[in-house]
Amino acid sequence: MVEPSSLVRWGLRLLALGYVFFLVAWPVALVVQHTFADGLTTLTETLTDPSVQYALTLTLQVAFWAVLINLVFGVTISLLLVRHEFPGKRVLSALIDVPLSVSPVVVGLALLLVYNGRTGWFGPSLEAAGWQVIFDVPGMVMATAFVALPLVIREVVPVLTEIGDDQEQAARSLGASGRQTFLRITLPSIKWAVVYGVVLSLARSLGEFGAVKIVSGNLTDRTQTATLVVEQKYQNFEQSTAYATSFVLAAVSVLCIVVVSLLRPKEASA
Amino acid sequence: MSIEISGVTKRFGDFVALEDVNVSLPTGQLTALLGPSGGGKSTLLRIIAGLETPDTGTVAIEGVDATRLPPRKRNVGFVFQHYAVFKHMTVAKNVAFGLEIRKRPKVEVAERVDELLRLVHLSQFAHRLPSQLSGGQRQRMALARALAVEPTVLLLDEPFGALDAKVRKELREWLRHLHDEVPVTTVFVTHDQEEAMEVADEIVVINEGRVEQVGSPDELYDLPANDFVMSFLGEVTTLGGTQVRPHDVDVATAPRAAGAIEGTIARMLRIGFEVRLTVLTVAGEEVSVVLTRTHARGLGLEEGATVWLTPAPGATVVPAMRPLAV
Repeated sequence: MVEPSSLVRWGLRLLALGYVFFLVAWPVALVVQHTFADGLTTLTETLTDPSVQYALTLTLQVAFWAVLINLVFGVTISLLLVRHEFPGKRVLSALIDVPLSVSPVVVGLALLLVYNGRTGWFGPSLEAAGWQVIFDVPGMVMATAFVALPLVIREVVPVLTEIGDDQEQAARSLGASGRQTFLRITLPSIKWAVVYGVVLSLARSLGEFGAVKIVSGNLTDRTQTATLVVEQKYQNFEQSTAYATSFVLAAVSVLCIVVVSLLRPKEASA
Repeated sequence: MSIEISGVTKRFGDFVALEDVNVSLPTGQLTALLGPSGGGKSTLLRIIAGLETPDTGTVAIEGVDATRLPPRKRNVGFVFQHYAVFKHMTVAKNVAFGLEIRKRPKVEVAERVDELLRLVHLSQFAHRLPSQLSGGQRQRMALARALAVEPTVLLLDEPFGALDAKVRKELREWLRHLHDEVPVTTVFVTHDQEEAMEVADEIVVINEGRVEQVGSPDELYDLPANDFVMSFLGEVTTLGGTQVRPHDVDVATAPRAAGAIEGTIARMLRIGFEVRLTVLTVAGEEVSVVLTRTHARGLGLEEGATVWLTPAPGATVVPAMRPLAV
């Protein structure tokens, strides 16, 4: 390989660093700076604000269910896509990428059309049965799950493809049932991909805004998640609260990234 | 008979992998399924294991119809070409897998694993991960893993195909010894006729989805059923419209024997103790002949000389029915 001159190398480094600094590091740092502008006061005040407390708890609940649903369906669909042949497989694979390309706002509106309690296609019958989807937690979980749908699958599918089905066939020939094969052979082989997918889904779910805003109705202390609180507080000129809440969300995401980067070297040696 | 295969046909789309295969594999023997790549031998092995289902026909193992049984209920051990080791488990855990699935007591499992690791000379590697083993060691581990469940039948799919020549030769001898120690009915797939002849008690030659011949290595070599079996088991050449092995051609410098075919030596190649001749006959055939250097020198052969060829007395001769696939 031809070594680029040191001038070019330094130039490229500066360019990359500058790009990331102005786009990511500086703005995030300013959020942190605003949060801690008067010591810990803003942060403690924010964290004791009942609306913020409620929103953070709700966000965690919604994210938990969305991640759990995506974990179960994600692994199942991955197995289906990699290990089985069926008509419509390519269509399914393409559909899974839709949430990546469609704006979350569109997702929210689409769910509204199907599930809203008055004019929705499916909503009134559900509501008659005592299930409120829109303007309630189920709808928010659905919207979040939709948006984070591809993350687990896109992590797990390449790993499943790479390990092949030799080990699974060997397990079956040694007397393992489908369930035993999955638990003892397949799952341990894909566990880091699953963990990585879950962490990504969690980060994505905690930060979801557009789809949730539409299906939740954004009702304070009822269906308002942390990202919605940030927007509302900011518009109500409570900037410091907005920054502090943003800081908490960013901190959780950074924590997710740290966890993943700690897990990654293990993945390489396993 | 340990394994009875009757009327088995298997298609993959338009490709006919096996066509009406009938074969019985005897109990306690080491049988080789021999044939060229893509001839259907691996498919037959996978059908015996239950990893593929035949389109038609039946498979019986030890008198039990196993055609519709899932692999885990057939009590077969299967060894894959690329080892199929459980990467996340230690060597000992790999070997213990089948026993743990069967919920055997811990003490019994530990004893059996120890015993098997000793049998395959891997005792000192018990706590390593498969990634720390060489290819030959991984395959021996896979063999121990398959033997752990005390299978009625041990099936090996090109077990040494992914190993280098030297290790392959060692493992071949080792498999033969192992089979003498643990005489479980064993079937292995190979495309290497030398491997089959060296290791197997019985060879089933499979080509283009059909069984060409079944017999001991000697029977196959001495009495091949057709020119395919003859050419697959060793070098052949065509002499006067029949197939004969190059070392079974007698060379004379004068037309003594009746029916001898006249030709001229077009090429002469000396390799060690061996001399290889290419003789162009009057009828236009190109015949390969192999003789020892001493014999060639005694006859005073040289390029351009005229010779008379006959099949040696007692040589295996088969009429050439179809063009040779060499």
